[in-house]
Amino acid sequence: MTDLRPSTSARAARTPLGRRNFLSLGLGLGTLITLSACTPTDTAPLADGQPVKGGVLTYFEPQTWTLLYPPSVGFYPNGGIMNNISARLLWQDPETLELHPWLATKLPEINAEATAFTFTLRQGVTYSDGSPLTPENVAKNFDLFGKGDEARTLPVSEQISNYDRAEVLDEHRVRFHFSAPSPGFAQATSTMNAGLLADSSLDLDAEGFGPGGATQIHTCGPFHITEETIGTKLSVRAREDYDWAPPHLDHQGRAHLDGIDYLVNNEYSVRIGAVLSGQADGVRDVQAPDEPRVTEQGLRLYAKATNGINNSINFRFRHALLDDIAVRQALIAAIDRQEIVDKLFTPNYPLATGLLAKGAMGYNDQSGSWTYDPTTADRLLDEAGWGERNGQGYRVRDGQVLALSVNIALPQPRSNEVQTLIQQQLRRVGVRLSINPGDQSKQTLDALDLDTVQIYHSMVARADYDNLRSNYSSVNRDVFLNGADREDAANDSIDPKVDELLDALAAEPVTEKRQIAAEKVQDYLVENAYVLPFFEEPQVFAFRRRVHGFATEPVGRPDFYSTWLAGEQ
Amino acid sequence: MILDIRYLALRLGQAVLVLLLAFTAAFILLSLIPGDGVTARFADPALGLSPDQIAEIRESTGADESWISRYFLSLAGFFTGNFGFSVQTGAAVSTIVSAALPSTAVLALSGFLTALVLAVIIAVLATFGPATGPFAWIRRVLDSVPSLFISIPVFWLGILLIQVFSFQLGLVSVVAPGPTEALVLPTLTVAVPLSAPIAQVLIRSITEVKASGFVKVTAAKGASELWILIHAVVRNAILPGLTIIGLVFGELVAGAVVTETVFGRNGIGQITAQAVTHRDNPILLAVVSLATFAYVIINLIVDLLYPVIDVRLRRQPSAASAGRKSHDASTRRALGTTAGSVGVDLGWAEDKESES
Repeated sequence: MTDLRPSTSARAARTPLGRRNFLSLGLGLGTLITLSACTPTDTAPLADGQPVKGGVLTYFEPQTWTLLYPPSVGFYPNGGIMNNISARLLWQDPETLELHPWLATKLPEINAEATAFTFTLRQGVTYSDGSPLTPENVAKNFDLFGKGDEARTLPVSEQISNYDRAEVLDEHRVRFHFSAPSPGFAQATSTMNAGLLADSSLDLDAEGFGPGGATQIHTCGPFHITEETIGTKLSVRAREDYDWAPPHLDHQGRAHLDGIDYLVNNEYSVRIGAVLSGQADGVRDVQAPDEPRVTEQGLRLYAKATNGINNSINFRFRHALLDDIAVRQALIAAIDRQEIVDKLFTPNYPLATGLLAKGAMGYNDQSGSWTYDPTTADRLLDEAGWGERNGQGYRVRDGQVLALSVNIALPQPRSNEVQTLIQQQLRRVGVRLSINPGDQSKQTLDALDLDTVQIYHSMVARADYDNLRSNYSSVNRDVFLNGADREDAANDSIDPKVDELLDALAAEPVTEKRQIAAEKVQDYLVENAYVLPFFEEPQVFAFRRRVHGFATEPVGRPDFYSTWLAGEQ
Repeated sequence: MILDIRYLALRLGQAVLVLLLAFTAAFILLSLIPGDGVTARFADPALGLSPDQIAEIRESTGADESWISRYFLSLAGFFTGNFGFSVQTGAAVSTIVSAALPSTAVLALSGFLTALVLAVIIAVLATFGPATGPFAWIRRVLDSVPSLFISIPVFWLGILLIQVFSFQLGLVSVVAPGPTEALVLPTLTVAVPLSAPIAQVLIRSITEVKASGFVKVTAAKGASELWILIHAVVRNAILPGLTIIGLVFGELVAGAVVTETVFGRNGIGQITAQAVTHRDNPILLAVVSLATFAYVIINLIVDLLYPVIDVRLRRQPSAASAGRKSHDASTRRALGTTAGSVGVDLGWAEDKESES
């Protein structure tokens, strides 16, 4: 670790070590020694045996949870809790993405237009406050999730579209009506964003779902919240009477674990250190450069696919600099995706072969669509009128520099590093890319403004065809800022075709035709060079060897129902 | 009389004014930041809300009202103890702050006391340590310790302490520590940089007092080093230290932000850090007001302590020269010695005689 290059030692020999130098040497050495010293390697057996009951799993999250209102649990820390405390009408297999019954006894009866869904409920299910699961209660749940309640600042679920009303048919059956076809609804009932709540919890406002009120939230999943320390810890414990696991699973009845302690620490080195030193059992969000360290220490590393839209940049074609398809194609040709994946990530981050991940519903192989070719990029830009260069080597047209700005997607892995690398790559073809600085709030606000952010870095995961609509539609996440009546872009710059294709996809009730509609959307976006996908984004977890049976739901949120700890009684 | 009621009332009035100014300044500065917390939270694409829905939420939360009406609304709220609601979570600010306050108060107190002990030890050893002989290096090293301590970044120290004492040696758990266990490392983290300015000022003032005439006279009379330190130096050297203690309180708040983040303690520092990233202005306003309040109170106490410690600063300067007995014999002795060294007789001779 000591630097023995001649220049250094020669300089050291010339000037005697002053007190200051001596002190700084001491500080530096101290850091090096402590940080490089090894924690003992985990040598517990890896092989799975018979699951044993008991034990509390300690699990580190980087951020504290913010809201346990089910439609808002897309935020990872919220979802990691809600997925384990709530049960849903249907269960989606994380491997096959097929739907199976859970709290509903069978898959819903759907009318031909996909505007009415009838569910039959399982008997004997109770919430953690003792109240039973009834059709009235389920209806009340979806009335809230499907419509939202602005007075209580509880937003509508982005996964449920065209919701009209719920109708209780009899003691076991409930029917949901939609004003327009909503074929994605069945899948929507299987996500943690549709985790069912007891009547008492449904009356809470946003404050009630926030920190300080967690123990008031009653659900019917395998765990329930027992203790909350605001900002640092949330404890859930297994429900002894839980007997309504998805029939599809081998494991039935109570969870193996006695409970889970969700711990929060914003400092990455503390979280990863706690797991490496054996003080905690698991941690979410292991960063790519640390993966070798985790495996070298003998820990279990899981890279779980999120099965959604790939980590991508979206070109906002309504901006004057990006409205020419040749410019967008040139940018795509100038960016070396392979270099990004190789330099910044590990094999757990596979290069994207389409707009969607391979495991996502509606996946369409478009792997030949994005070729790195700086010569073509230069040619395209020259032909598009950007042949002139200024003193700094950037391309100029009519006195305007080809300068674009990209956001930092803070929830996405190493977004800043990715953009820095792209900045260098684009510099080579004379395009200036600036990276929009700022914290999460600033990024969110700046991304709404076409003049501030023209290239938008993002990803979103949901295991349904509707994921495309959530991401690209102007009424949802609107990554292109393709909506009407904007102050910063004229209405005639809208590309109406994007929303048209997405609406056709959302309204198509037949699964096979949905696949075709989804492919059409993707083909259109690729043909027009609107998107450049980088890699399939995983959620990376590390667990001690004694943790067995860890699984995730279809979009990579932890599912601890069948997890067990070796060595417990 | 040591405590002047009129002076006290004046200072309390000033304190209220400072609070109001701090609140106003914080409000204006937070309003100047582009974008507000409501938009930042609900326009997050992860929620997928349409602009119409966001507009409805903005209306129902009153985010679109003019800043002046929001200013008076929150000011009135503060006077009635209603601090509003967090924009990020919707929870009442009073709930969040009161949950965070005890942990920060305990950390601040233990960190402060540790810093004080550290500073006194460093200062005394650096000034009264062996000046010659084989251990003379102790004095030289300790003399430079404050500049070392002040240069240590708090976050680095915190991470280092965790790495060594928790991850390597396994002495302290970061996962489920007991109440005392959870306090040890954060206290050290806060105390080290905090002790630096106090120690530095103490070293300088002790050196200065030691060089003054009355100390030399006392030494010439045969007093031991310890006697000089306790009877002649402490009281005179402590005043600048007291001033700096009041001032470093601000650093205590700044240190808490980093320390609580590193150690995952739910305190004022951590909620501040989170509120900043989420543009959670109601929480930030409450924290700014709270910190100002504590700062003002502590400096008020420090100011009120001056005359208690140093008779020369009491409101009636005539008291000493009029021969009225001070409450503290050692002070009188010190003053008497000082006066004697410049040839002034305070007329306290018989007291001194009778006591010694």
